Amino acid sequence: MKKFLFLTTLFFSIALLSACKKDEEKATFGTFYLEFDNIVGDQDLTLVDAANSDFKYANSHDQNFNVSLLGYYITNIKLEGPNGEVFVDPVATGAAAADVKGIYQVLESITASQTIGLTNVPSGKYDKVTFTLGIPADIVQEGATGGVLDPAEGAWLWNWDAGYIGFTFEGRSPASPVAASQWNPENSVQIHIGGWKDITDNPMMVNNVKTITLDFGTSVSVSEKLEPQAHIKMDLLEVIDGHHGSADFTTTNAVHTPAGGTEFAENLHSAFVVDHVHQ
Amino acid sequence: MAPVIGATFSPFTMKKTLIISALALVSVVMGCKKDETEKGPSYEFRKPENFPEPTYTFDNNPVTEAGFKLGKKLFFDPILSVDNTVSCNNCHNQSLAFADLPLHGFSKGVMERQGTRNAPQLVNLAFMKEFFWDGGVTHLDFVPLNAIEADFEMDEEIENVIAKLNNHAEYPALFKQAFGTDEINTPLLLHALAQFTTMMVSDNAPYDKYLRGDLALSEQELEGLHLFEQKCQSCHSGILFTDGSYRNNGIDSVFTDIGRARITSFSGDIGKFRVPSLRNVGITRPYMHNAKFATLEDVLEHYADGVIDAPSLDSSLKNGIPMTAEEKAAIIAFLKTLTDKEFTQDERFFKG
Repeated sequence: MKKFLFLTTLFFSIALLSACKKDEEKATFGTFYLEFDNIVGDQDLTLVDAANSDFKYANSHDQNFNVSLLGYYITNIKLEGPNGEVFVDPVATGAAAADVKGIYQVLESITASQTIGLTNVPSGKYDKVTFTLGIPADIVQEGATGGVLDPAEGAWLWNWDAGYIGFTFEGRSPASPVAASQWNPENSVQIHIGGWKDITDNPMMVNNVKTITLDFGTSVSVSEKLEPQAHIKMDLLEVIDGHHGSADFTTTNAVHTPAGGTEFAENLHSAFVVDHVHQ
Repeated sequence: MAPVIGATFSPFTMKKTLIISALALVSVVMGCKKDETEKGPSYEFRKPENFPEPTYTFDNNPVTEAGFKLGKKLFFDPILSVDNTVSCNNCHNQSLAFADLPLHGFSKGVMERQGTRNAPQLVNLAFMKEFFWDGGVTHLDFVPLNAIEADFEMDEEIENVIAKLNNHAEYPALFKQAFGTDEINTPLLLHALAQFTTMMVSDNAPYDKYLRGDLALSEQELEGLHLFEQKCQSCHSGILFTDGSYRNNGIDSVFTDIGRARITSFSGDIGKFRVPSLRNVGITRPYMHNAKFATLEDVLEHYADGVIDAPSLDSSLKNGIPMTAEEKAAIIAFLKTLTDKEFTQDERFFKG
């Protein structure tokens, strides 16, 4: 009897141990990289100083322009796969920069910011990415936050209509009649897309935060050894000279309200395209 | 046999009884000590029973004594302004429920610059959904940034404020004590200020004591309350005395300050401003966003007889609010029961 019990115990212990081992083997994780490559139509986007008078880009109004500042906030990143794989990049706010998770400011001026490494992605296949462009209500309403949302560290926070600018473009165009001031050089063009409020009884409270889903057109595998990359192109021309709105710099050269940015926010969906993925 | 405490006087139980007595004595002594500390000021945020749930995100920023005192030091410190001359306290005086002096219809900023709207009282902020006359700010944390960076208020850049604080002789240690961090950054500055301002709860006016059954109101005050319920409460509703909406109350036909439309870009909102709380209204003159009325008598005279028509005029004011002289006097008597002297004299807010 005793011997039987001992053997049974031993058998179950081994079974349990091997089960654990098997589970551990099963749940592995890898890293997935999202690379954001900013372009202007068929040209690569290159920043110039704010006062620069070299205008290498043109819009459909035959107005030349350049770019001195460009960037956007990305958050709530989700990867999905053909077999039901789902990875949600955790989002957290906090006063310390280290506490802020899953909120990214992609800046043309900072190369490192253009690659987002998603860690702890469960091994599996993925063929789709979804992200939020701009900082949505639930994050704004957490109150003051550090890291890329700290205005002293360069966060794009509107004080007077408190919330974050989701997409920023600044440059110059000879077509812009704007005079020089303490805020901008002569001929400046500034398009700031902000606004995050949804208020049902006030249709003018514009929410310009967009959710963008991009198909890879194929699937890539994540594992401990496989770290795929999705190369996403963002075409500035699609944003400021797109289907839903096109900025004529003679009149549209200083967009600093939610309502003013709406037509450009509508263009954001088509501005982001997955150029290719690599394994 | 298992010993039963108290049933027999064996040496064992005697010893145990002694220990229990000693323990009881110690806890009584500790209890006294605890009571003594409870007599001192409390730095815990307390929601009055008849107030709505706070809107403030206390989970992200719970009030502590160190944080409150740090917030207070910052509130009184002109270091927040570009030339170190203007503090929050310049325009928000506790004796006036943290409103500005009656002399300052528009507040004075750095270099004698003048603001464009009347500085409001700072009361019951933890319960408000939106801030400023146009409601552009939806979280209390972000409110001070406007005062710090507005050119006619403190005209300072937040980067400079953070640098000044980090290089200060006292602040790094005070922030460390309050938040446990070595580096001062914007959210910590805003959290410290919010710990101070969320504690500005006004719920001890004579009217509150009347509600609690601790104080009787005079006949005239009660008559005023009755009239207030009929004539004013549709906008100045609830225990906070505001419904938080934006309305054109007929003080102008042309608006140089477009008010709510500044935030909504909606022409129908031109001339609408936030319905202010009426708590402490007896000590926060002048009134309206543009300081148009010097006294409560002027305000009621306006509603009775002075409403100016405009496209966005609130529908409830199309015909004004008819009031006799006696009714006005009674309403004003009632409004003065909203003046909370315990709040304006609360030592926790003293500069110290």
